[in-house]
Amino acid sequence: MDERVSSGGAYGWFLQRITGLFLAFFLIMHLKVLHLTSQWHLDFTVITDRLHSSGWWGIFYIFFIPIAVFHGFNGAWGVIEDYRPAKGSGKGVKALLWVVGIILCIFGYFAVNELLRKGA
Amino acid sequence: MYNKKPGIIGHYFHEINRNPNTGTWSWFLHRIAGVVLFLYLFPHFLVTGSYFLTGSTEKFDAWTKAVQTPLFHFLEILLISAVAFHLLNGLSITIADFFLMTRKHKAIQWVSIIIFIAVMVLTVVMFVPRVLAK
Repeated sequence: MDERVSSGGAYGWFLQRITGLFLAFFLIMHLKVLHLTSQWHLDFTVITDRLHSSGWWGIFYIFFIPIAVFHGFNGAWGVIEDYRPAKGSGKGVKALLWVVGIILCIFGYFAVNELLRKGA
Repeated sequence: MYNKKPGIIGHYFHEINRNPNTGTWSWFLHRIAGVVLFLYLFPHFLVTGSYFLTGSTEKFDAWTKAVQTPLFHFLEILLISAVAFHLLNGLSITIADFFLMTRKHKAIQWVSIIIFIAVMVLTVVMFVPRVLAK
């Protein structure tokens, strides 16, 4: 009788909280350096100078990008699940979210990597 | 009536009507903020990736400049409010869940709301000059 698609259940719930805790730290740092800063103006030089200021920024983004993307897409799945999708369409949406999420991650890595390697 | 499936938007009215407590409101606002942040990821990655896409520092500067107008600084306040609310509410939920404090969830919620208001006051003070700048 239950036609709901399997949700990933407790794993999804648990990972959402763990990635959320990481993001609380990463995102405060991210907002601190890029939004809540006395530096009003952001451009190529400002951004690449900041990225080159410490070798840690590369490592920061290696973790930040997939964790943020996973949290966003797992959250999106949670929203969709709230509407109790039929088993087939639920599976399709879930697969689509994985594909788009992985593409976004790879794009994010290239985007940051280019800025890290080149520039000032 | 009870089993009738409400629509995509009606779903929220349905839940809030059925259980009009702080928890339902925080769930609703958490959802709105979460969806906003999810949608924000795409243009954000696109602008950040403009150097990777075009290979031109001029294009990167042009794209980043386009999102630093007074209007976008105003939207930035809304963005930070979405992050701050989602983050603080998420921490409240996690604390209640992991430390078996569900019976204290309302108190935790109010603490997070007070911190949220403080963060927003600071943000608005910081951003008003940027919004008003020429």
